[in-house]
Amino acid sequence: MKKQGKAIGLISGGLDSTLALALVRGQGIEVKAVNFYTGFCITETQRRKGGRPDGTVPQNEALRAAADLEVEIEYVDISGPGYFDMLVNPRWGYGANANPCVDCRVFMMRKAKEIMEAEGADFIFTGEVLGQRPKSQRRDTLRIIERESGLDGRLLRPLSARLLPPTIPEQEGIVDRERLLDISGRGRTRQMALAEELGISEWPQPAGGCCYLTDEAFSRKFFDVLDAREARGEPRKLEREDVVLLSTGRHFRLSPRAKLIVGRTEVENALLEHHVEGRARVEARDVLGPVALVEGVPTWEERQLAARIVARYGKGKDAGRVVVEWREGDLVETYEVEPEHDEARVEAMRI
Amino acid sequence: MALTERMPAPARTLDTSGRLCPFPIVETAKAVKAMDAGAVLLVIATDPGIALDMPMWCKATRNEHLGTFQDGAAWKSFVRKRAR
Repeated sequence: MKKQGKAIGLISGGLDSTLALALVRGQGIEVKAVNFYTGFCITETQRRKGGRPDGTVPQNEALRAAADLEVEIEYVDISGPGYFDMLVNPRWGYGANANPCVDCRVFMMRKAKEIMEAEGADFIFTGEVLGQRPKSQRRDTLRIIERESGLDGRLLRPLSARLLPPTIPEQEGIVDRERLLDISGRGRTRQMALAEELGISEWPQPAGGCCYLTDEAFSRKFFDVLDAREARGEPRKLEREDVVLLSTGRHFRLSPRAKLIVGRTEVENALLEHHVEGRARVEARDVLGPVALVEGVPTWEERQLAARIVARYGKGKDAGRVVVEWREGDLVETYEVEPEHDEARVEAMRI
Repeated sequence: MALTERMPAPARTLDTSGRLCPFPIVETAKAVKAMDAGAVLLVIATDPGIALDMPMWCKATRNEHLGTFQDGAAWKSFVRKRAR
């Protein structure tokens, strides 16, 4: 008789993790799903900003997957100093952008191990597929993640399990290895066929790519924050507030001392209003325009430049002069400036 | 009669106003955990995502979603904790 077991499934709600969840649950194993909140999820940020550009609001895919399969789910917030320190100092380095995928997976698996032990579960499983991602899903890096997280033999990848050494739950008979899969590579044909077979009709498109850290434009802003702090003689580190601001507005590096963030929508303007403390708030006074924040210690010339850029994104962009209000704590100044029309200059400052 | 008035009296009210996805659900999960089986929780949220999230969370955790209603700029969601 098969031994009854309990597992912790790390799910994003993407096709692979949904299938992994279905496969493990389909073996009669008690499953608790866990979704880690990092602060860098593109879908969550879209929801905060009121939805996608086409007006639709993306659903929370991890919740959707857990609901479809009637599996209990827990959200675990891992964003914080420990996670940020890992992002800034990754032991296994970055991928193409600001994505330290191997370190991030190790960080998550260590947290998952704590949950596994607290829940009295036998193993962890994920939707990882051998060879699907160039950095974090190679055979060697899958092994690094397992070893460094302290999950030796307790980390099951159901979609690729038969291409990997048997795990402890397979050896103990908790999991039937014969009912696991041998999928590898970037193709999704087999996953889609399996989804149809299991009656899973919903999953987000496109696959993966929900992390801002893999985004080139976001990555530039991420490293700019670290580089600017270092240039000012400050520790090279990331703060919680940075995470929100990095995904909000147009960013311009005025100098190593000062950065300008200009809201692109009403929702972004409202978000920026929550981060005025410790920054200058800049907005055109007599015409409609964006809310902008200036971080750091700008020179008088940089204040003028920031005011001109803010003026160019408002209704006064074609006016000869625009009055821009600069608020910094109790200090309120106004600058009458010509909106900046030098595209090359603006682009050179854009991060 | 307003739709919210047809809901059972909550044993506890959780105000998540200003908190964004997924924290209203995270806080709901913590609150429900501390309640007695059968008790009703009222969750107030300003994140419109609650209207999508709460029914799904209830289905996943087998708690009973009694209803989610928009009330001005906020949403009110009623959840009954599952019986053991």
